[in-house]
Amino acid sequence: MAMTDFVVELTDVRREYKTGEVSTVALAGVSLKVERGEFVAIVGPSGSGKSTLMNLIGCLDRPTSGSVKISGKNIDTLDDNQLTALRSKAIGFVFQQFQLLPLTSAVDNVATPLLYQGLRPKEARARAGAMLTRLGLGERLEFDRGRLSGGQQQRVAISRALVTNPDLVLADEPTGALDTSSGEQVIDVFKEMNAEGRTIVLITHDLDVAAAANRRIYIRDGLIERDEVDSIAGAR
Amino acid sequence: MNLYLTLRLALSRVAAAKVRSALTMLGIIIGVGAVVALTAVGQGAQQGIDSSLASLGANQITVSATTPTGLQEADAEAIAEIEGVLQVSTQVRSGGTASYGSESISVGIIGVSPTHADLANPDVAIGSFLPSSPSLQNTRTVVVSAVGADDLGFTEASIGDEMRLQGVAFTIVGVLDDADGFGAGANVYITQDIARSLFSKPPYVGAISIQAVSQEAVPPVEYRVEQFLRYSKGVTRDEDATFSIFNQAALQDTIQTVTGTLGILITGIAGISLVVGGIGIMNIMLVSVRERTREIGVRRAIGAKQSQILTQFLMEAVVLSFLGGLIGLVIGQLASFGFSVLGGWDFFIDPTTVFVALGFSALVGVLFGVWPANTAAKLQPVDALRFE
Repeated sequence: MAMTDFVVELTDVRREYKTGEVSTVALAGVSLKVERGEFVAIVGPSGSGKSTLMNLIGCLDRPTSGSVKISGKNIDTLDDNQLTALRSKAIGFVFQQFQLLPLTSAVDNVATPLLYQGLRPKEARARAGAMLTRLGLGERLEFDRGRLSGGQQQRVAISRALVTNPDLVLADEPTGALDTSSGEQVIDVFKEMNAEGRTIVLITHDLDVAAAANRRIYIRDGLIERDEVDSIAGAR
Repeated sequence: MNLYLTLRLALSRVAAAKVRSALTMLGIIIGVGAVVALTAVGQGAQQGIDSSLASLGANQITVSATTPTGLQEADAEAIAEIEGVLQVSTQVRSGGTASYGSESISVGIIGVSPTHADLANPDVAIGSFLPSSPSLQNTRTVVVSAVGADDLGFTEASIGDEMRLQGVAFTIVGVLDDADGFGAGANVYITQDIARSLFSKPPYVGAISIQAVSQEAVPPVEYRVEQFLRYSKGVTRDEDATFSIFNQAALQDTIQTVTGTLGILITGIAGISLVVGGIGIMNIMLVSVRERTREIGVRRAIGAKQSQILTQFLMEAVVLSFLGGLIGLVIGQLASFGFSVLGGWDFFIDPTTVFVALGFSALVGVLFGVWPANTAAKLQPVDALRFE
């Protein structure tokens, strides 16, 4: 079998939290692989461990045991700076509450990850503007978050996640703070992005949202309960 | 994320919370403003004292009689022969009454020998000083100090007029400028020969002014003069001395000690106020880090390194303290301009003050911003994102 290009490779990952004497198991041994080009939904109720899973895939946290490989790199071997560099290059985040930076225009929000990578401001803004224009926000480049609707803010956030051309877009309840129609539009954006070949991992408790993905991983009590792949989803 | 962008971000932060930023900066503003104003007052005062001293001459020694018969003309003649002495002049003094037109005031009447003008180099505002030619020492001419001229109601046209001292008529030849010496009150200067006829009996004199050949010669000359006078008057114990010796250099030393102490005091105030201001900034930065924990988490998630977070918060602290220092500097300079008008000295902006004020306020921002900025940088991204 040819070397398959895995963006995410989790092997027997455990994550425990210690608060004083009490230890809580958030993930009790999860193994999971995501190939390049997949659109995966991780589905589970709150407390199931899906946020912990997202933090690990997003290189924001480290496992208690087991190995986490993102874009082929084992995060256990990386120091904080290397981990940041990996996050900056490999992952684009979309948060539930959009999390646009305050006092910062849409275009500057989208340019920020590029600036952190060391791009010249002019080039970063140009690329950010192009990305926003693609997502239909070309008229609102200089608006700050106070002048954008929820749906528009989330599209700015998606632009910010995509602008670095990451291996993986990681979205945490991206429709959770949106009304139904804005939510549907956001999901359509993800579908389009996936059709262009981008890898997307979406975390949700909403089965309707999960239905948009072509693979759904159900998680409960820190373990994978079910891994469901649509038969028509090509490359598997 | 280059420094210019970080600076712009910090400025927009500071501008977005105007009241809070202003209150935070207040400590630094007051501290720097007070120190700049105090320094300017100190420098202005120093400048005034220096010019007074300069007009008196740094290589002067004055011997004053401490009893009515403490010094004689003969002493002056002998002192003139001492090695290192360029020239001497003598003075006699008395209190008296001066009148001009309808004004009548109490004045100090000072009779000076012809060499006085050479030695003391009096600063004449209008007219001229007393004649120095020996043949004119018996003319009843008078030079009046600025304060005296003011009190007597002189005008520009008063030169050449007559005024009366102890009821005797004198011709006014000149008025002195303000920098007439310390505590210059209402004084009038007449020739010593005329003074003899008015109030003073020879051979006693009130004071002997000595000009040394150079400033370096002042200490040895002072020593020789003292030894000579002690010997000639048979003084063995300090309390028996009928004279006291005083030189400008000693006075300058005293003034320098005083201004040095003043400088230490100002530095102390500056230090305390900058520390207090710095603590204010540190406090607000810690609050800011807490309020913006989620923002820090987002920035870390989208690729900010710890060092980039650190720089951002450090920059904000420095902007706050530097702006505070800048505003304080402007306020302090305005205040010192006001003082210079009131105090009558020259206003100038001292580059050292500007540099030190701005440099130290920026330094305060760095010193007191490091801890909050480091707290921000060390936040774990996952904890920061979860923070409510």
